[in-house]
Amino acid sequence: MLALDAAQQAVRLLWAHKLRSCLTMFGLVWGTAAVIALVSWGEGVRSMLERGFFKAGKNMGEVWAGRVSEEFTPAVDRRYLWFTIEDVEVLRRRARLPEAIGAESWEMLPATYRQRAVWVDVRGIDPEVMEIRGIPLAAGHGITRSDVDHRRRVVVLGDTARRRLLGAEGRLGSWIRLAGKPFKVVGLLEHVGTQLSRDRMLIDQHAWIPITTLQANWPKWWTDQFVVSKILYRMPSRAQLDETEAEVRAILAERLQVRSDDTEAIGIHSAVKMLRTIPLDQMQGLMFILATTTLVIGAVGVLNMMLDSVYERRQEIGVRLAVGARRRDIIAQFFLETFAISALGGLVGAALGVGACLALGALDAPEMIPVPVINTRIVVVALAVMSTVGLAAGVIPAWRAARVDPALTLRME
Amino acid sequence: MSEDAGRPGPSLPVIDLEAVHKRYSTGKLEVYALRGIDLRIEPGEFVSIMGPSGSGKTTLLEILGCLSRPTTGRYRFNGRNADAIDPDGLARLRGEEIGFIFQSFNLLPRLSTLENVELPLAYRGVPRRERKARARDSLAKVGLANRAKHLPTEISGGERQRVAIARALVNRPSLVLADEPTGNLDSRTGDEILSLLRDFHVEGNTVVVVTHNPKIGEQAERQVSIRDGQIERDEARG
Repeated sequence: MLALDAAQQAVRLLWAHKLRSCLTMFGLVWGTAAVIALVSWGEGVRSMLERGFFKAGKNMGEVWAGRVSEEFTPAVDRRYLWFTIEDVEVLRRRARLPEAIGAESWEMLPATYRQRAVWVDVRGIDPEVMEIRGIPLAAGHGITRSDVDHRRRVVVLGDTARRRLLGAEGRLGSWIRLAGKPFKVVGLLEHVGTQLSRDRMLIDQHAWIPITTLQANWPKWWTDQFVVSKILYRMPSRAQLDETEAEVRAILAERLQVRSDDTEAIGIHSAVKMLRTIPLDQMQGLMFILATTTLVIGAVGVLNMMLDSVYERRQEIGVRLAVGARRRDIIAQFFLETFAISALGGLVGAALGVGACLALGALDAPEMIPVPVINTRIVVVALAVMSTVGLAAGVIPAWRAARVDPALTLRME
Repeated sequence: MSEDAGRPGPSLPVIDLEAVHKRYSTGKLEVYALRGIDLRIEPGEFVSIMGPSGSGKTTLLEILGCLSRPTTGRYRFNGRNADAIDPDGLARLRGEEIGFIFQSFNLLPRLSTLENVELPLAYRGVPRRERKARARDSLAKVGLANRAKHLPTEISGGERQRVAIARALVNRPSLVLADEPTGNLDSRTGDEILSLLRDFHVEGNTVVVVTHNPKIGEQAERQVSIRDGQIERDEARG
């Protein structure tokens, strides 16, 4: 039979059995849509967490000094430890793995602008910290090497700090006072929003000044050394988390004369490590299993419908064989019918799944609601599984029915 | 048949069965539906095959129509050894040289009468336009030109059987096989169907009717009775 005739008949038969076609398709549509939506949602959770964790700096490690642990020294002897700028310089010279190393010092200071006064988290930083944190600037420029070298009284404000301090009238170039000392606003950070990883305050509430300026104006009372509160570094890749940490720890432990396994003396924190403790892969695996189960249930539904349909139509198959249809004509006919139904169901399902994901993404939802990330691979897989099952479900029973003597098929009444 | 055209002597029989047996096995049970049938039917004959139900007459018809193969024995159709033809070849043979008429009409319910009549042509690959024209002619011959667009469910039983006849004849087969063609019809409509079959026979074609209705049997020139899978009687009539 000519392909066109067969296709025409296939469409007409599906139309004639509208209800059955729709019910069959429902399983396909639901299965495909569910797989796409679930897997995309899982992907969305992952990317939401990653974004949240990496807001303060991608692939960043943070190092601070504490006290020698009781495990290694008598309690009365527990030394207090701190890093100095020399430690950072030594680390920069010796460490091979970190891509960048920055120094940060902090003070909580009263800030004033005209009639307004607020407490801000003031961070003395160097240009490397700017680079490691990678927060985009809304206006102006960041803390530069020259700012650090000349101990300039310049400040870069986080979004919230800017709003609270400057209000509507303040802009780049305004002068504010930090603990009474005048600072020029040279840069404004873009809004960062919810961070899943932070120290003390959100970046939006920071005021960044050159680290040398902080050291010169507010030296620590307990020492005349140039104290660094925290060393930041960027690991070359997430996979090198542990090696980079070990290298940094070893060098600094030697500098502070503590044991390198003393995690109270030298603490290292990384969002990468936290992210690793969340069983994201397991969660996504679970999603995948759930989704696949849905897909299989949909497929079984199709299989059932198709088996039924072919069984009901054995008489028809017999008649067609009697008037000259070859086996392959029969199989081609059922192939076309099931192909039409699987393709339509699969496409509608994919459209629904993708549509649901896009709709959820388009909603102006709070930041912590994951936006599904559509995974093209899963769309293709879902469609492929559906069409395979659909086709098998139509073609196999037709093949079996066409294989026996036409007389037997005809006699089924 | 072109291959016979040049041969001298009597023409080949349309049907030539030799010692045909047909066995069905259902689980442990083995049933012989046919036990040694020898039957020759010459071109242009009108034969009725009679017998009580369970006698094997439907099985015989299925074998004659190449819908089923003998378990043992030999079947020559128009001089060709049907046992050696592959399933696709048999399908072609059914489509081109045999027309079937069934008791329950066996029209496809979702196709219009015209499309039902077109089916054998479609499976032969006849182009659409020619197909439509020939199917229309065939419907006209059974007096149903005005029913072409109807679905089988929208016409009467007699009309359905006439559609089935139009379908059986559309390929101008050399053999028409009818299985209780009037079984589901009242006697008047049944007579109409029979007269259509007679007309076809009068044109010089071979018709084999399976029935247990003696009235139909009487119409045939030759009456074959079977019982328990064997030919009981084979007689030519006036």
